[in-house]
Amino acid sequence: MPDTQVLVNDFLNKLKKRKIEGSQATARQTAELLRSVISQQRVPYTNQAGALIDAVKAVGEQLIAANPVELAVGNIVRRVLHIIREEDLSLTTAAIGGLNLSAVSDDENDDDRDGDSTLSAAAVAAAARSTLRPPSLQTLLEDTPVSAAVPQTSSSGGDSEGKSKSADKSSRSRKLKHDVIEAVNELIQDIVTCHEQIAEQAVEHIHQNEVILTLGSSRTVLEFLFAAKEKKRSFRVFVAEGAPRYQGHLLAKELVARGLQTTLITDSAVFAMISRVNMVIVGAHAVMANGGVIAPVGMNLVALAAQKHAVPFVVLAGSHKLCPLYPHNPEVLLNELRSPSELLDFGEFSDCMDFGSGSGSPLLHVVNPAFDYVPPKLVSLFITDTGGHNPSYMYRLIADYYSADDLVVQRRATAGN
Amino acid sequence: MQFDDQGRVNKSKKRAVFNQPEAKNRVELFRHLPQYEHGSQLTDLESKFLELDSMHPAVYKVGVQYLAGDVTGGNARCIAMLRAFQEVINDYSTPPGKTLVRDLTAKISSYVSFLIECRPLSMSMGNAIRFQKSRIAKLPLTLSETEAKAALCNDIDRFINEKIILADKVIVRHAATKVRDGDVLLTYGSSCVVEMILLYAHELGKQFRVVVVDSRPKHEGQALLRRLLAKGLSCTYTHINAVSYIMHEVTRVFLGASSVLSNGTTYSRVGTACVAMVAHAFRVPVLICCEAYKFHERVQLDSICSNELGDSNDIARVPGRPDVNSMDNRTNEKNLQFLNLMYDATPSEYVSMIITDYGMIPPTSVPVIVREYRREYLLI
Repeated sequence: MPDTQVLVNDFLNKLKKRKIEGSQATARQTAELLRSVISQQRVPYTNQAGALIDAVKAVGEQLIAANPVELAVGNIVRRVLHIIREEDLSLTTAAIGGLNLSAVSDDENDDDRDGDSTLSAAAVAAAARSTLRPPSLQTLLEDTPVSAAVPQTSSSGGDSEGKSKSADKSSRSRKLKHDVIEAVNELIQDIVTCHEQIAEQAVEHIHQNEVILTLGSSRTVLEFLFAAKEKKRSFRVFVAEGAPRYQGHLLAKELVARGLQTTLITDSAVFAMISRVNMVIVGAHAVMANGGVIAPVGMNLVALAAQKHAVPFVVLAGSHKLCPLYPHNPEVLLNELRSPSELLDFGEFSDCMDFGSGSGSPLLHVVNPAFDYVPPKLVSLFITDTGGHNPSYMYRLIADYYSADDLVVQRRATAGN
Repeated sequence: MQFDDQGRVNKSKKRAVFNQPEAKNRVELFRHLPQYEHGSQLTDLESKFLELDSMHPAVYKVGVQYLAGDVTGGNARCIAMLRAFQEVINDYSTPPGKTLVRDLTAKISSYVSFLIECRPLSMSMGNAIRFQKSRIAKLPLTLSETEAKAALCNDIDRFINEKIILADKVIVRHAATKVRDGDVLLTYGSSCVVEMILLYAHELGKQFRVVVVDSRPKHEGQALLRRLLAKGLSCTYTHINAVSYIMHEVTRVFLGASSVLSNGTTYSRVGTACVAMVAHAFRVPVLICCEAYKFHERVQLDSICSNELGDSNDIARVPGRPDVNSMDNRTNEKNLQFLNLMYDATPSEYVSMIITDYGMIPPTSVPVIVREYRREYLLI
C-alpha cells in the first residue's frame, strides 16, 4: 500500500494548492485514484465490501477536506461507495438465486449493508429499500415462504453448507473487486465522454437565427455550440467576459475560430443586451440536490436578468457535477475568496491597506468571490448526459448515483462495528 | 443623427472638422449609432490645431479634453462646456452686417457640432445648450453689444450656480437624512453627487460603511475609492459580478444618473441596471441622485435604441493579463466584434426614489417636473 499512499498524498497536495482546474479533470483524477486504492486494497474473506468501503471512506474523507469547495471530489467518492454497495448487492442476489432455499442461513446481523456472506431474502429486500431503490416484486413475494423455511434448516444445514459457502466466498471475493473496478472504469468513461452526450442534444434546443448569451467559459457549452454548428444551425453568440478571470475572452476566441459570429461584451452590459437574446446557455461548477447551481461569479446576475426578460436559462452539467448535498448558506460555505490583486493593483493602493494607520485595521477591504449561487427557481432547464430535466427533478437523479448512507463521508469508529 | 442613413453620414463627413475613421466589425444591432476607431482621433485633432482658425481655443480645449477622456461625468462636462461658451461670448464681436442673435446662435451651433464629433452629447449638455440658445433668442433688441454679452455671461453663471452647484448642495442635504448609523451603503462607478453625499454624511458623524462596485473597462470606482479612503471612510471594493455576494450586507444603494427620462427610466453608466436589479431582488432600496436639469422629456424602453459606443479596444485588451491579451490581434477577425456600451437604461420599477433639488420624488413624478418646472427654468 505504500504506492497508493504516495499517490494519495500527491493528489491531496494538488487539491490543497488548487492546482487542478475544472470539475471534470478533478472528477476523473479522483476516480482513477480511488480505482488504484481499491485494486491495491486487500480484502478479507468475510465482509469484503465493508473493507473496501472503509478504505474508500478513509481516503475520501481526506480528499474532501483538502478542497471542500470542489464538490466533484465528494461526488465521485460517493459514487464509488455506491458502486461498491451495488455490486455487492447484485452479487449476493445472484448468489441467493444460485444457492436456492436450502442454502439460506438465518443472519441475525441486520446491518447487512456491510455485505455479509449470505443474506436472507428479507434482508435483501431491506437492503434494496435502503439503497433508495424500489424492491423488486420478486424479492417481496419470495420473502414469506423463505423466512418460514429458515428456522428449520439453519441448525441442520449449517455444517454442510459451510464448505460450499467457503468455496463461493473465495470466488465471490475476487469477483467483487473485479466488478467494482469495472464499474469504476465505466464511471471514468462516463466522466470523460459527458460532453459528447450533452452536445448530442444541442440540435433540439437551438433553432435558426438564434441569439445566445453565455458568461465566462465552459467546455461543455463550447462543445454544445459546436455540435449545433455542425448541424448547420446559424446563430450568434454574445459572450460576457466574466471578470476577474476573463475566461470569456478565451471562449470567444474558440468560437470565432470555428466560424461563429461572436460579440464580446462586459459583464455590466448583460442587462442592456439581454432583451435581444433568445436563450442563455451556461455551464455550472456544481448542481445541488435542490436544483440550485454553484456557478462562476456573475451567474446570478445573468439569471436574474434572464428571468426579468423571460429568457430561458439553460444549465449544462455532466452527471459528475450533481451533488447530493443541500446548499445551506452557499454564498459563504460553498464559496472561495480569491486574491484581491485580481481587482486592485497593490502598488496603487498600498497606502490604503496599511495596518499601521489609525485604529490598526485597514479601511479598505477587497472582496473577490469565486462562485455564485443561482437558486432553482431561476433555472429553466438542466441538460445532463441523461437528458433534459427540470430543477425540481434533480433530487431523483441522486437516487441513481448515490446511497443514503454515504452523505456524510466519515470513517466509522472501528470499535463500534 | 441617423447613422445608418448613408446620405446623412456623407454630408456630416464633409462638414467634419477632423478625420474619424469608422470602426470595422461593427455590431449589427448598433448600426444606427456612430462608432469610430479611437486610436488615431486624438493625434489627428491635435495636428489640426493651427488650421482651425474658426474655432475658439477654449472650445477646442474642451473638445480635446472630451476626446482624451480627461473630463467625464455629466456635471463636469456640462460645466466645462458652459465655461468655454462664456469665453466665446466674452471674446465675441458682431461682424458688420449681421445681428448678434443670429450670428452668435450660428457660431454656438457650429461649436456644438464640433463637440459632438469629439464625443456625443450627454442629455444634461443638451438641456444646457437649449437653455443657452433660448436665452440668446430672448435678448431684447435694445441692448448694446456689451450689455448683451454681459447679460448672457450672467445667465450662464446663474445656470451653473443654481442648477448644478446649489442643486447638488440641496440634494446632499436631502440624501443625508436617509443615511442612518450602522448602514452599509453601496454605490456603483463614480458619481460626483453620491461622493458628496457620502462625504457630507461622514462629516455629520454618522457611522456607516461604503461598498464601491466597479466594472470594466474604465474602473471609475477606483478613483472614488481613493478619495473616500483619503477622508477616512471605511470601504469595501468589489467588481460587478460579485454584487449578488455582497448585496446580503447592504442596506441602501445610492446611484448617480446621467439623465432621468419621462417614463421614469434612469439613463446612466452601463452596469447601473444590473446593480439596481440585484438590489431589487434582495429588497434593498435604490436611491437615484440626480439634479433636475438632467430630466428629459424623451422616453426610452431599452438600452439599444439610443446609446453611446466607446472604444472597442478597451474591451479587447485587458491591462495586466498577457494570457488574455493574445486576443489583441483579433480585432481584425471578421466574425468577432467587441461591444463597449457606455450607458444603459434602468427600468423605473427598480428605483425606489429619486432625490433631486426639487425634493425626493418617486420615478413616476419625473414627467410632472419636466412639464411644470421646465417653463420656469427657461424663463429664469
